[in-house]
Amino acid sequence: MTDVVPTSEPESRPDFIKVDNFSFYYGRKQALFDIDMDIPEHEVTALIGPSGCGKSTLLRNMNRMNDLIDGVRHEGDIRLNGTSLYDPDVEVISLRKRVGMVFQKYNPFAKSIYENVVFSLRVAGRSNKAELDETVERSLTAAALWDEVKDRLHDSAFGLSGGQQQRLCIARAIANQPEILLMDEPCAALDPLATLKIEELILTLAKSFTIVIVTHNMEQATRCSHRTAFLYMGKLVEFDETRKLFDAPEKPETEAYISGRFS
Amino acid sequence: MSDSPKSPDPKRFDVSRATLLFDRLMGWVIRFGGIAVILSVFGIFYFVVKEVVPLFHAAEVEAAGEVEAGVEPAVIGVDEWGEMPFFYDGGGKVLFQHMEDGRRIEFDVPGLGDAEVSAFSFDPVESRMALGLADGRVGSFVVNYGREYADPGESKVVPSLEQEPWFALENGAGPVTALSYGASGEARVIVVKRGSGEQASVSVLRLGRKRSLIGKGKLTLIEEVDISPQLEAEPVILRASQNGSVVLIASADGGVLYFLANSSGVSLREKFHPFGDQVPQQMNFLFGGVSAVMTAPDGRQSQWSLFRKTEDGERLFGETKTFPALGEGPVAFAASQRNRTFATGAGRQLSIRHSTSGAVRMEGTIDLDPVATVLDAKGEHFFAADRTGLTKRYAVHDPHPESGWRAFFGKVWYEGGARPIYQWQSTGGSDDFEPKLSLMPLIFGSLKGTAYALLFSIPVALLAAIFSAAFLPLSVKRVVKPVMEIMSSLPSVVLGFLAGLWLAPILETKVPSVMLVLVTGPAAALFTGWLWCRLPIEVRNRFAGGMEWLMVLPFIGLASWAGWCLGPVLESLVFVYKDPASGEAIADFRLWWPQVTGCSFEQRNSLVLGFMMGFAVIPVIFTIAEDALSNVPKSLTAASAALGANRWQVVRTVMLPVASSGIFSALMIGFGRAVGETMIMVMATGNTPVTEWNIFNGMRTLAANIAVELPEASVGSTHYRTLFLGAIVLFAMTFVMNTIAEVLRQRLRDKNKIV
Repeated sequence: MTDVVPTSEPESRPDFIKVDNFSFYYGRKQALFDIDMDIPEHEVTALIGPSGCGKSTLLRNMNRMNDLIDGVRHEGDIRLNGTSLYDPDVEVISLRKRVGMVFQKYNPFAKSIYENVVFSLRVAGRSNKAELDETVERSLTAAALWDEVKDRLHDSAFGLSGGQQQRLCIARAIANQPEILLMDEPCAALDPLATLKIEELILTLAKSFTIVIVTHNMEQATRCSHRTAFLYMGKLVEFDETRKLFDAPEKPETEAYISGRFS
Repeated sequence: MSDSPKSPDPKRFDVSRATLLFDRLMGWVIRFGGIAVILSVFGIFYFVVKEVVPLFHAAEVEAAGEVEAGVEPAVIGVDEWGEMPFFYDGGGKVLFQHMEDGRRIEFDVPGLGDAEVSAFSFDPVESRMALGLADGRVGSFVVNYGREYADPGESKVVPSLEQEPWFALENGAGPVTALSYGASGEARVIVVKRGSGEQASVSVLRLGRKRSLIGKGKLTLIEEVDISPQLEAEPVILRASQNGSVVLIASADGGVLYFLANSSGVSLREKFHPFGDQVPQQMNFLFGGVSAVMTAPDGRQSQWSLFRKTEDGERLFGETKTFPALGEGPVAFAASQRNRTFATGAGRQLSIRHSTSGAVRMEGTIDLDPVATVLDAKGEHFFAADRTGLTKRYAVHDPHPESGWRAFFGKVWYEGGARPIYQWQSTGGSDDFEPKLSLMPLIFGSLKGTAYALLFSIPVALLAAIFSAAFLPLSVKRVVKPVMEIMSSLPSVVLGFLAGLWLAPILETKVPSVMLVLVTGPAAALFTGWLWCRLPIEVRNRFAGGMEWLMVLPFIGLASWAGWCLGPVLESLVFVYKDPASGEAIADFRLWWPQVTGCSFEQRNSLVLGFMMGFAVIPVIFTIAEDALSNVPKSLTAASAALGANRWQVVRTVMLPVASSGIFSALMIGFGRAVGETMIMVMATGNTPVTEWNIFNGMRTLAANIAVELPEASVGSTHYRTLFLGAIVLFAMTFVMNTIAEVLRQRLRDKNKIV
């Protein structure tokens, strides 16, 4: 695959997601140290770094999924489009509706393809048939899955291949038209061909969503992200345009990591 | 060969002998253990089935010896061991003939002198021969059998005759032509017919003993009542019952008259026609004296019992059963002296029947034409003699005559009952009591107990499991779960004790309070929840992470306390009992409930049981359901939360479907616990085998029944085997339920399988 690095769109907001001096603790163990980064709108931002560096933790804080874990606390703030995630008047449920999420292992529900896609609408209490049908077609088309499943929308989601299931999860995440799409190593469980399709999809989706993706695969970061952040031991080491970070890293740790001296 | 390529140290691939040996040893130990467990389960099953199978055997009859009496017997009687029958031909002698050693003993009829016997009848239960003389006297003698132990290990039967007083009849004229003697200790009655045809007269003699400090007292005639005026046709068969109060007279017009003889005299109570205008050719009382079996000339046989209640509380005869018709020929009849079995037959037919279950226990033929028959006291030997004096003995093997499918699972018309019913009453106070062995009330009790236990437990346990798995913060859950598990280890005898002696007396007077708490508690929870949703998000976020219950708890507590305290107020407003006698109004639920619903109110009832069984069942269901819910993959709950589902939606849309098979197992294990629970049921339910769903009375479950009665049942008896049958039924119930549940569970699991 050729390196297609798109240029960012000029009207996008440069600090759509603002991570402001953010630290995070699992019980006594500190996982993130004073992270500061501005993630621009309608771009793909990749988080890379060795295992345990905190990139997934950071991602999961962007829709407060870490609240589901017992005994966590944080310092600092994360703002989505200007509103703090931790404002006392933030309803975490509606927050999560603004932020879609795709997980490492594809995890469709034990329901039909159709019902998987409209899940977020159903839990929001929307059951207009026309709206649901329209959402299914739009989301599956956006996830590049429509042509493959349009004849078996009411079959079980488990009948799909791994790559298709992951694209279904993407369709499910974007069905409610969130502002942000978080992807936690979305291709880790997929074969190269399926990975390719997802990567193409990510770039297409970036036109409509702000995407933050965690990846282990540096090739992937170069192929489908506009910006890349390198985290190491819970600290943000370097954050820059992807090409710049890979071609001319400023920090020696970045250089060491991307040249494969440690992982 | 030494230079061939070899690995330098082949020993490094070896496995140590000890490891191999241990591996093999453990393999065999586990195999042995597994097979032993399977075998012991089958062994238990075999034992239980072996105990039960004899209940369903028919009676067996086989020839066991014969003897020539040399007289034409009209009456045959026998000792309780079936060894030495006696024969009486209506003359002045009674002949005893041993079955094995050929001993013959002849006695003169005591006190007869030169008088001529013109009528006689024999009651095998009391071994009493009643005699009527040509000179108008009636009297009786008792045949006693003793046992003499001559040498060690040897004994022989020694018969003797005991004379009883003679009474001269005042009414009527001519020789006595028929009589029947009924006696039960104090009350005795003799019904006597004198003469025949137009001149026939019938009297009833009531006898009694004068009280005496020493000895039995003298038997005297209390009164002689002439009942001839009340007869419309010539009497054919006279029968006085064993309890000394009922006299039945079959007359030539086909009617049967029932006279009651008691301290207020002798009176005609009823006339009925068992076979239209056909005269019964046979009519005999069964053991106990409240039922009579009658046979029509055409062989139809039916049982009539005292059961129809009149308005003044008196009981009259009515037909309760019909038996298969007998064949052609003269009818023989011999009633058992210890239960409701009787042997009957026409001609050479022999049919052993049981009156309670209406079952034919055995149907066969004998090889002589009987003129006299008798069943011995234990019901183990049947004797039949023909007119030449040839007497055959038949061994009857029927240890469980009252059993059978109908008796256990069908409605049975018991003596004295108004209709066929399901009833369990295995033991009674008197000798002539008939055991009532229907398992249906017990099966019903098991289902009722289980239903009420689960009715209380399932909602609490499942809601608690959902709350703990999906809402409670881990730090609280870490405390709650072990506490629930400790609860399940409470010994059920302690729970039963608490239920019966502590909870039941409290709840007895507090039913309205309990009702109010059951309403106000949940209502407060719902109301607080509603209120909570209307609080500003800033306030709610302060209790994020599942600690909202801290807010709800005081409200629920307060509302429950208020409900408890307001119970008496509710009682005085709604549950007001009006005393029908004085018209006084009393606010008492215990009186109100029976008056309004017609159901009883017991202190130990299903409500108490439901609460206490909760302690046994809730932890079981809770623990397993909680595990099932907690084991729903985090990836699914996280996915659903990330899509904007709130906690309840995560539970409803993802956790419950995925955990459904596990929750189902939890319910089934809870069901198993409730069905098999014994001690709580024994101690908290009152153990009355009733068959109504009324929540304010108890029940008797199969398990409790076994626990209570097995220690009293004599090994090998019908009662004992029936208890084992109850165990099999219990097993079958749980087996069927579990099988159905397992099939459903597999289906649920396949439907919600996660790849």
